[in-house]
Amino acid sequence: MTAAAIDARGLGKDFGAIRALDQLDLEVREGEFFGLLGPNGAGKTTTVHLFATLLAPSRGTARVAGYDVVREGLSVRRSIGLVFQDTTLDRDLTITENLRFAARLWSLPERVARPRIDVLLRQFELLERRDDPVRTLSGGMRRAVDIARGILHQPRILFLDEPTAGLDPRARRSLWERIRALRAGSGLTVLLTTHYVEEAEPCDRVAVLDRGRLAALGTPAELKQAAGVRSLEEVFLAHTGHPLAETDGG
Amino acid sequence: MSARAVYGIVAREFVRFLRQRGRVLASIGRPFVWLVFAGAGFAAVFAGRNQIDYRVYMAPGLLGMVVMFGSLLAALSTVTDREAGVLRMVLVAPIRRSTIAFGKTLGATLLGTAQALVVAGLLLPVVHLRPTLAGALLGLVAVVLSGLAMGALGLVLAASIRSIENFAGVMNFVIFPMLFLSGALYPVRHLGLVLRAVAYANPLAYGVDLLKHALLGAWAEAGYGGELPVPLDCGALVLFAIVGLALAASLLGREGGVTRTALRGRS
Repeated sequence: MTAAAIDARGLGKDFGAIRALDQLDLEVREGEFFGLLGPNGAGKTTTVHLFATLLAPSRGTARVAGYDVVREGLSVRRSIGLVFQDTTLDRDLTITENLRFAARLWSLPERVARPRIDVLLRQFELLERRDDPVRTLSGGMRRAVDIARGILHQPRILFLDEPTAGLDPRARRSLWERIRALRAGSGLTVLLTTHYVEEAEPCDRVAVLDRGRLAALGTPAELKQAAGVRSLEEVFLAHTGHPLAETDGG
Repeated sequence: MSARAVYGIVAREFVRFLRQRGRVLASIGRPFVWLVFAGAGFAAVFAGRNQIDYRVYMAPGLLGMVVMFGSLLAALSTVTDREAGVLRMVLVAPIRRSTIAFGKTLGATLLGTAQALVVAGLLLPVVHLRPTLAGALLGLVAVVLSGLAMGALGLVLAASIRSIENFAGVMNFVIFPMLFLSGALYPVRHLGLVLRAVAYANPLAYGVDLLKHALLGAWAEAGYGGELPVPLDCGALVLFAIVGLALAASLLGREGGVTRTALRGRS
């Protein structure tokens, strides 16, 4: 029996009186490209942070890469890469310095980190800017460095939390190219959160999250068929009774 | 404890510090400003009444001040790290919270120590203070231990405070009382009972006392040297450092540090 990449049972999180995530049952398979679709405030980031051990669950359990998120936090963090919604780079350091800092945090020896950083910089077309401070980079380039940072330690599972937020259409396209190339070259499991319906389309499976609850789960085609509609946008409407865009920022 | 991660955290502190030219100049220039403006004035007031030139008396205190500013403010980087998001990159790394706290404190200690050594090299000749070898070594111990205690304290403050504005306010209420109640400018034993009690809750007081042991040994007879036993000074600083580190580690690990702000930003 192969372990699921992510296995959540009755997972929930409260912040005081706010129920950010109700009771999530979710299984993400090894190598899968999985999408968490929902408006802002649906509980997507909370879910990712629970999986990444940055938050402790209020109820339920979750295993990530086979490790329990509560008892085996270090092993979980060793197995995952997480690209946050906002950049986590040090703006005053150069691209290379940022990546070297991350490599040390992940305890990669210099002789492993150095060639790996070179490969990633080439792959992400950042070689010419490698010694420039991050604050001088465009949003798209910063995002590329964020992702390079997230996969530097070769995680089994990569979380991308709203990776295209704040990017222009061209930067978005090149980001999707990178993610596609990345998955093609490895057995990497990718969990993506987004509130853009079109970004969930290429996913193997999509979970629709609304107000902390799982509203629907399946392949994009299944979801559309089951709801008798033609787009994921309509799937969201059918399951929640309100359109995706209107709840934006709610 | 991952040595490589600690090294990474420390190395980053140094790179950042050296790149902020204003911060470097301020840390070296500040004690001389005090020496000139406060030192010259007080030296004139006290001239003749004392057996020690006030500027010489000030020297250990000024070195203590350099460590305090250097190490305490280095912890400021934890607040900027939180605001800039860098702290999240550190928190998602497979290292313990205590490793992060230790790395940050060690970085602050080494930064404070390096600044104090540079200032000592410039300041001591200016006030004609030539420590003995034993004095110099004890001075180094004093600087390192004070840096540890100050760095840990700064980290506790930084970890419990959310925004820069808040931090600046607290620092004003922490730094100046700490400086005045450290014995850096006048002997603690001349203070009233209450203030003396407050002074002994101040880690800098033990650091400055230790520095006086190290540098003002020749004036000990006249009552200007260290007031407390050396082992007590060392023990108190180590205790401050350990308690601070433990507290900072638990505060850094406190949940909500990452997501709660995101949640608030939304509503």
